[in-house]
Amino acid sequence: MTSSVTVARIGRIIAAVAGVALLAVVLTDHDQVTAVFGGIGSGALYAAIALGVVLTYKGSGVVNFANGATAMYVAYIYDSLRTQGQIFLPPLPNPLALVEGALHAAGATGINLPDWPTQIGTGTPMNFWPAMLISLAASVVLGLLFHFLIFRPLRGAPPLAKVVASVGLFILLQAIVTLRFTSQALAIEPIMRKQPVTFPGDLVIPFDDLVLAIIVVVVTAVLWAVFRFTRFGLATRAAAENEKGAVLLGFSPDVLAGTNWVLSTVLTGAFGILAASINSFIDPFTVSLLIVAALAAALLGNFSSFWLTTGAAFGIAMTQSWLGFLGTKDWFPHAGSGPIPGVKEALPFLLIVLVLFLRGDRLPTRGTIAVGRLPFSPRPANVAVRAVIAGGLCLLGLLTLSSQWRTAITITLVGTIVCLSLVVLTGFLGQISLAQMTLAGVSGFALSKLVTDWNVPFPIGPLLGATAAAVFGLLTAIPALRVRGVNLAVVTLAFAVTIETFVFKNPSWNGGLRGAAVPPPHLFGLKFGPNDVTSFGDGKLPNPFFGVFCLIVVMVLALIVVNVRRSVTGRQMLAVRSNERAAAAVGINVAGTKMLAFGLAAFVAGLGGALSGYNFGSVTALTFGSIASLTILAFAYLGGISSVTGAVLGGCIVTGGIVFTGLQEWFHVDQKYSLYVGGLGLIVTAILNPEGIAGAFRKGVERLTRTSARRRVPGPPPVPATEDA
Amino acid sequence: MPLLATKDLRVTYGGLRALDDVDIEVEQGRLVGLIGPNGAGKTTFIDALTGFTPATGGIRFADRDITKLPAHRRARLGLQRTWQSLELFDDLNVVENLQVAADRQSTGGFLLDLVRPGRPRDRSAVEQALATLGLEELRTRMPGELSQGQRKLVGVARALTAGPQLVCLDEPAAGLDPTESQAFGAELRKMVDRGVTIFLVDHDMSLVLTVCDYLYVMEFGQIIAQGTPAQIRADARVIAAYLGDQGARNDPPETSP
Repeated sequence: MTSSVTVARIGRIIAAVAGVALLAVVLTDHDQVTAVFGGIGSGALYAAIALGVVLTYKGSGVVNFANGATAMYVAYIYDSLRTQGQIFLPPLPNPLALVEGALHAAGATGINLPDWPTQIGTGTPMNFWPAMLISLAASVVLGLLFHFLIFRPLRGAPPLAKVVASVGLFILLQAIVTLRFTSQALAIEPIMRKQPVTFPGDLVIPFDDLVLAIIVVVVTAVLWAVFRFTRFGLATRAAAENEKGAVLLGFSPDVLAGTNWVLSTVLTGAFGILAASINSFIDPFTVSLLIVAALAAALLGNFSSFWLTTGAAFGIAMTQSWLGFLGTKDWFPHAGSGPIPGVKEALPFLLIVLVLFLRGDRLPTRGTIAVGRLPFSPRPANVAVRAVIAGGLCLLGLLTLSSQWRTAITITLVGTIVCLSLVVLTGFLGQISLAQMTLAGVSGFALSKLVTDWNVPFPIGPLLGATAAAVFGLLTAIPALRVRGVNLAVVTLAFAVTIETFVFKNPSWNGGLRGAAVPPPHLFGLKFGPNDVTSFGDGKLPNPFFGVFCLIVVMVLALIVVNVRRSVTGRQMLAVRSNERAAAAVGINVAGTKMLAFGLAAFVAGLGGALSGYNFGSVTALTFGSIASLTILAFAYLGGISSVTGAVLGGCIVTGGIVFTGLQEWFHVDQKYSLYVGGLGLIVTAILNPEGIAGAFRKGVERLTRTSARRRVPGPPPVPATEDA
Repeated sequence: MPLLATKDLRVTYGGLRALDDVDIEVEQGRLVGLIGPNGAGKTTFIDALTGFTPATGGIRFADRDITKLPAHRRARLGLQRTWQSLELFDDLNVVENLQVAADRQSTGGFLLDLVRPGRPRDRSAVEQALATLGLEELRTRMPGELSQGQRKLVGVARALTAGPQLVCLDEPAAGLDPTESQAFGAELRKMVDRGVTIFLVDHDMSLVLTVCDYLYVMEFGQIIAQGTPAQIRADARVIAAYLGDQGARNDPPETSP
């Protein structure tokens, strides 16, 4: 109650300030007016995606990070109907592929067993209306699938699981499109003409932007009216407050949630098609990442008001467009030949931080029946045995296997480090970060700068880089002191996008197309970079000793994380994760514990970023972009977010790691399927098995030992001291 | 000098005064009770004392002004509490729930933890609290596996483990049957004998009237009476408040002689 009052007040203040500023601009400069209204098309797109987010939040309490990806997905369906008369299907598991793989391995390479179709349709390009209608029908199906297969089973799950599932959906949708169409942009024939419309005062707006903006405003009005005046709207609002309330009105919360999901995907899909038409192209990333600006708008609308959301979306886009115009001025800070990048992207981020920080508490909470538990974090057991076995196998592999496998092992080791950082942050502290690869990247880029510009020697360079990452990690922790759960995910995603454009794509930092160079490490004249030739073994690249170096780093960091879990620090983190109020009541400094975990996690991720830089010889925006942060979360969660074993398993399944290299070698499964498997696995894990592969393994072992223990005589009573020696 | 004293303690939610200028004193080594009907503001008072709700006025504890201290600092000074809603750490087992309350961490301690996590720590407080409340058998169980009554006892044990000077118990006896409640009362007296000061909030009149040394009665956020159990038993306003008599409510708040 009080929070929504405050938010309304903040919203009003921001609107008033924006209004006054706008007016001042309108009165002074015609060019600026044109620049501001140049943002009207993007504003409509942000609003469209944000409205879908608000709808699903009202209907089911889920903040759907995949809503931009949904728009992108439907646009691809439409385009493939228009140009080829076909609907593409996601890759489906085919048991025959295993048989085929075995036959090929046995030498029978001539045999080809049938596969699932990748497309269905007539093959004749369709006209606009049939293509549009079939796309919208597909949106209905998507909405139903999202609701029934993913978010309905997660009704009682903690917010973390819902965020993780929607991130999984984001990755999955993108992976399907990339598999079917590659990640290259496709040109799209515009639906509407682009001729500008001239308004009084020589204000010029492209026709299609104007139409889209009008449609968005009309849709906002209709949604407002539906939620205001119909029984359906009333029941949805009631269910958002209290699900039992909706039951009393004679509505099933489940049906309401499903209906809102379908409404949301249909709206989002339709706008996705219009967006593609306005941009004249589609690719898997651009529209998907509009979610950041859309989330900022939805937050300003408090995830409930359609009008505030739409207004905020236009406000953000028009301010961005204005900032773009200012970038053409001489006084604007420059990087390379152009204005500094990332200013536009920083705006939604700053708005999000501002709103969340002023408001402090979470989104309007939802009265659900029960909230489930976070994944259990087991006490580390048999650490020495596991370390010796895993480390020994890894060492053996590095020293004996072929060059391809050495590369795979190194990539697995680097992935494990970033997964370890997520174990500390998400597994122990229960806080979510969608920016972990970004933090790794901060360290990687810092390392590049330190070594190429200032010749900082080996162990100091990566340590300083990781320290830089830790500083940025502490910065992300500041919002986490006041916000948690979904909101923190929103903040960190916006942070990732901002740093990606502000730093990683900044020409004075990123070294152009080839990336910022990271010279190989050397210590006491001993070179052990991946491309330093050694006479050991097959003499080919990569140098096995670089892998050994990575292995040592992983072993040390894994031990540190295990020690955190075994010590007071880890217990305090778990206490904060369980219950912040009770933790403060027993004297735990909640803010301090959070800062510590964020700093430590960022430091660990930073070491991962430094090793990644050494491994590739350079750091690029692609390696450490926001999408990379989402996917590493997927692999870490799939492996097991709450234990070191899980982090190691997560490292095994990253793209280019040992699992997919094995699948490619032995079953001819292409590496490009790794994101598809990662996204799908993430969703399945969030729903069925929150502790990931490591948890499933641990439970299996426990069940086995319990069965064998029952056959034996009862053992001695439990030892009183539980502290490890 | 009392161990704890509040002066004009006030909490407002929106326009509503949940606590209206409450003055309470708790002497060292005593068992002081606070009773009142549902919604009188008893839990709000504990929240304000321990730093979980913003309040105006003054709180002095162990010769310090703690009004502006954050909750965890108050806890470290020895002002402990339990929760009505049993806020145990569900991810930690019973013994870890207690250890977390006993351990104090420093920056150096954190760095040392990274290399030597299991260095020996003083476990006597944990063991003593487990023994006091008869929880030794349950030490490795998870909170989710315990009964409601057992969870309450773990909550009290956790507060004791932190080495408190004063423990605020928020309805610890709710849900206990009369025999359990009586046994629990006896345990409380033993703790007081061992030097822990207790501030007990409960509805269970028979428990409160038998174990407490001194009592405050709260209604609508105000203290309407205070005194020894015998004085409270005889107080007309208290009887009226518990019977819900309108006439008594409109009386101006006064303190008993």
